[in-house]
Amino acid sequence: MLWLGLYFPQLPLEVFVRGRQQAGALAVVDTQGGREQVSRCDAAAQAYGVRPGQALPAALALCADLAVQRRERDRERRALDELAAWAYQFSARIAFEPSLLLLEVGASRRLFGGLPVLLQTLRRELGQLGYDAAHALAPTPAAAGLLARSRPGSEVLTCDDLRAAVAPLSLACLTRDRRARELVRHIGLDTLGDVLALPRPELARRVGGPRFAALLDRVLGDAPDPRAEWSPPARFAQTVELLGEIGQTTALVFPARRLMVALCGFLRGLGGGAQRLQWTLQHRDHPATAFDQGLLDPSRDPDHMLEMFRERIERLSLPASVIAITLRVDDWQAFVECNLALPVGDVAAVPDPALLERLANRLGEHCVRGLRCLADHRPERAWRLCRPGEADDEEAGGSVPAATAHGLSQPPWLLPQPRPLRDCNGVPEYGGVLRLEGLPERIEAGWWDGFDITRDYFVAHSPAGERLWVFRDRRGGGWYLHGLFV
Amino acid sequence: MQAVDLDALKRSGALWRGRRSVLMAGRVLGSGWAVLDEVLGGGWPRAALVEVLGDAHLGLSLLLPLLADLSLESRWLTWVAPPYLPYAPALAARGIRVERVLLVQQVSDEQALWAAEQVLKSGACSLLLAWPDRAGARGLDTARLRRLQLAAEQGDCTGVLFRPLRAVRQGSTAALRLRVRPAPLGLEVEVLKRRGGWGGGTCIVPMHAGTRDEGRGARQVPLPSVLVPGSSVLVPSRA
Repeated sequence: MLWLGLYFPQLPLEVFVRGRQQAGALAVVDTQGGREQVSRCDAAAQAYGVRPGQALPAALALCADLAVQRRERDRERRALDELAAWAYQFSARIAFEPSLLLLEVGASRRLFGGLPVLLQTLRRELGQLGYDAAHALAPTPAAAGLLARSRPGSEVLTCDDLRAAVAPLSLACLTRDRRARELVRHIGLDTLGDVLALPRPELARRVGGPRFAALLDRVLGDAPDPRAEWSPPARFAQTVELLGEIGQTTALVFPARRLMVALCGFLRGLGGGAQRLQWTLQHRDHPATAFDQGLLDPSRDPDHMLEMFRERIERLSLPASVIAITLRVDDWQAFVECNLALPVGDVAAVPDPALLERLANRLGEHCVRGLRCLADHRPERAWRLCRPGEADDEEAGGSVPAATAHGLSQPPWLLPQPRPLRDCNGVPEYGGVLRLEGLPERIEAGWWDGFDITRDYFVAHSPAGERLWVFRDRRGGGWYLHGLFV
Repeated sequence: MQAVDLDALKRSGALWRGRRSVLMAGRVLGSGWAVLDEVLGGGWPRAALVEVLGDAHLGLSLLLPLLADLSLESRWLTWVAPPYLPYAPALAARGIRVERVLLVQQVSDEQALWAAEQVLKSGACSLLLAWPDRAGARGLDTARLRRLQLAAEQGDCTGVLFRPLRAVRQGSTAALRLRVRPAPLGLEVEVLKRRGGWGGGTCIVPMHAGTRDEGRGARQVPLPSVLVPGSSVLVPSRA
């Protein structure tokens, strides 16, 4: 087994700042020993001389514009959980420690093109998520965590090298138990190497308690170290809170991308794709704005989603500035990475789903439709609108040859509703008396389904030279215009 | 000075050559109407903008044979903001595969223009039919027309804009500009402007000369869908 430890040293800070694009001086404070002191601060604050460990008043004296946030451990835990959902794509075994994520990568490293490629991918995606991690590889989870924390970048692949790798580490790294640390230090042991050199029974006796020895055993792989199995949530729901409020829709793109990268990682882990993204924008004193983003096909490509999102928010107006943005995906579909189309006769294939998606996204899905013939003689029922690129059903396929016979005498334009025409001594009028051409085409159908028509259709010429498709309702009487030629 | 291949220049259609009509290799789509091909100089320009000025529903019949030809391709035939419903059985009867028809409807003029540009440049459509300025909006100015023209070239898509007659006063970069009006025997087509030749030609496309057949029935001369005189292969610009 090979464990990858990912340690997030700036996590307390990152949970606040990952939603914003520009830096502004920010410090996260924590109460320690009854006084408030800076726990983490960003680069802008550091430029003013603010340092972790400083008392809050001292920090405020250095930088008057310093934004201060209280550390929220709950949020950090939640962030780690979200990171685990993203990391599930790389490993099926995930464990946690405070500010630390442990992934078993030995089993899957070949799949991702070897360790260097895997690490590079991880690092790039973490950057897109808004986190910075120190990593270490070790054969045991405890050692991977220990090394990620204290010697980032170290890669120990076998248990034999492990002893040498942890030897220079200070004892303080291994345990937070102050009594044990003091004790070991008082007998003149500073590093783990010194401790490991002692005979084991003596160590357990001297340092007091089997816990320290057991911890050491787990680090070195001499004792089993079972970790709770983490399993991904059934649905995706994550929120990025925005430190500075956002008043323009275009500024939503940045935090939205963070969420999309997280979503796509989650979907890859489950082998799925999302078709409907539900966005919620929280406002401070206003009900939340919610909107859906539909995709034509299940997708897990953040760039594609982002492009759609950009277009979607263009027609969005914000009632108030946004303080948090939430992305939910309740159901996800099985994802097919790429479909090989059959080379011949594949008429129903959609030539370019991206175009359809762009149109539907901006205009609404009801505006972008495909057309099909139906096997029916009634003009109102002889066609239907469908989802573009929808596969043909058999009734549509069978009707086309039948329609050809009388379709030639029918006009390319159909009025949505037949328009009543004035009757002038048995002849219809439309900008003057119409001249009827030839014999009528009688369409009489539908007594079985409630849309019963008995009509005589004529081609008529108007005085203006237009050719019209008119009918006489044989049951109710009266002339109607139903289509246009030319 | 760079040497210019005169023949290539002639064929490209970028050269204005007076009344001697030039068949532009691979750049013309046969219209399916012999009389129309004559005044158009071979057929509809490929990957360019065509303006048809007249009442909204006029002019569609001219394009039905082209629609039928292009529906054999796997690309979309997109209708943006049609004034009425395209009647599927009638289209199918004229040889158009309605599965290839894509409708963009219930949109504002501004949305229609946006959609038209997306459609043209996407490369996923072989033909665009658009009715972009029916509500009298001012969106379709000369600069916008120019953008559409560029988009049509980019996506190898012929864009036909059906516009009201008042647009005749507006300058246009379209490769072809027609005015259509109903005539006793069919549709009168007047060429206001065409690329690579004189405008001014007029013809009457017989839509209903005696018989009730039209479209394919009026095809007097069997024409290939794409005219490629002299040149050996037709290579679509889109890979």
